[in-house]
Amino acid sequence: MSAEPLPTLAEAGRKIAAGEVSPVELTEAALARAVALQPKLDAFIEITADRARAAAKRAEKEITGGRRRGPLHGIPYGLKDIYDAAGLRTTAHSRVLIENVATADAATTARLEEAGMILIGKLATHEFATGGPAWDLPFPPARNPWNTAHFTGGSSSGSGAAVAAGILGLAMGSDTGGSIRLPAAYCGTVGLKPTYGRVSRRGVVPLCYTLDTTGPLTWTVEDTALAMQVLAGHDPRDPGSADVPVPDYRAGLRDDVKGLRIGYCRDFNRDGEVNAEQSAALDQAAQLLAREGAEVTEVALPPNAQFQACARTISHSESFAIHADVLRTRPELYARVTRERLMLGGFLTAAQYVQAQRLRRILTRKVDALFETVDVLLTAVIPGAAPVLEETDDGPWRRQQPLASVFNVTGHPAMAQSCGFSATGLPLSAQFVGRHFDEATVLRVGYAYEQAAGWVNQRPALATL
Amino acid sequence: MSDDADSEFAAAVARAGVTIPPERWVAMREAYVSMQTLLKVLDDPLAYEDEPASMPRFDLGVK
Repeated sequence: MSAEPLPTLAEAGRKIAAGEVSPVELTEAALARAVALQPKLDAFIEITADRARAAAKRAEKEITGGRRRGPLHGIPYGLKDIYDAAGLRTTAHSRVLIENVATADAATTARLEEAGMILIGKLATHEFATGGPAWDLPFPPARNPWNTAHFTGGSSSGSGAAVAAGILGLAMGSDTGGSIRLPAAYCGTVGLKPTYGRVSRRGVVPLCYTLDTTGPLTWTVEDTALAMQVLAGHDPRDPGSADVPVPDYRAGLRDDVKGLRIGYCRDFNRDGEVNAEQSAALDQAAQLLAREGAEVTEVALPPNAQFQACARTISHSESFAIHADVLRTRPELYARVTRERLMLGGFLTAAQYVQAQRLRRILTRKVDALFETVDVLLTAVIPGAAPVLEETDDGPWRRQQPLASVFNVTGHPAMAQSCGFSATGLPLSAQFVGRHFDEATVLRVGYAYEQAAGWVNQRPALATL
Repeated sequence: MSDDADSEFAAAVARAGVTIPPERWVAMREAYVSMQTLLKVLDDPLAYEDEPASMPRFDLGVK
């Protein structure tokens, strides 16, 4: 195995363009790293070595023939195993779909393939992008590269682990209540939940139609911008897709934050039961952005309990509707934690669902109002560093309210990225949130913070073995 | 837990059409109660004009 993590997407693209590395060499490095770290991390459900090698040879031939498709051509990536890739199984980490072979690419898979990227494998997830880490499934849960005794966060668990371990520069995740941002936070990567409707969900196993989003996990903010340039755009075959122009995400990436107005949701730390070291890290992030020239003011979000009532009612109701038949007829196919959490949706009433959707619009309006006075919000995404994997809450009702789901309720783009480390050496994380469809400003602030703070230069020891 | 609450949970399980093994009944009933406690906020009165956001269309008006 290579001693170093795979280069970032931007670095790999530059090296390929300069002829310093070939797609075949990059792919072999990614495959070797994936195989070598699999016993420690269980990041992959399937490593697609033959397919990857064939695609790498094609990419190499095209590039050497002068037909380079773009900055991601010839670079490896991975898919959370709820994304379809034609000819491969999409299991959703579940016995329910263990024989399910995709006949077509998901819309996002097709975009990444068209950009010339090389699929290395399908990545672990919490079953059906819900539930939690479970040992009564066909595949084990992924482990955190910073400390393999600890939880990756989820549900895009393998995506967070693979990017943090330097196996992949890009892994796709999905986010219904935080499932991109939570593994990004616990694994110290960047994870962007785009605006609802910005990136197609077609060909991705659904959990909750009105909250589901798809998006990237990467090591750097620049890489997220590169990925979004390929992923974003209208898909008329996705009923939730929005027909909104896609900007050049890298155009303003290196602009500084002077004059940008950042609303720091400091009260939300208390409301969300954020612990002292995570709160201190966020305070320091706010102070650093102020030193970089941003106008930082404190703003207040509506009470977290309102967001949680919305998110949980909507998510549980819709996911139960999707899974009701199997829950009633073959419940043993699910892991216990998945089965029990999905069943809760069957105990809700239609009136509760409608009330949650009504409250959702009110809360969205209130958060929109904040964006009349600030350009970006800064909040917590996690209450503290990753817990020990075996001590993760596996009850039917999550004791801790996920902070990330606030922006699934409102649909705003939200990005998690590292903002320091706990006393135990595990990543802490900040969340930047923007106006609907203004991922570009979120990326701009995230990039400025990343460069000024320098946390991006620290990688897990596992990644440099 | 009161008998009323237990009956309410049993009715909810029956309506959902799912089966809960006896050894998980108490844990699921507690989860149900926790969920309903969180959801009390949904009982707050709303104005007639507060319509649902069932299918978000955040793109409206952007163009």
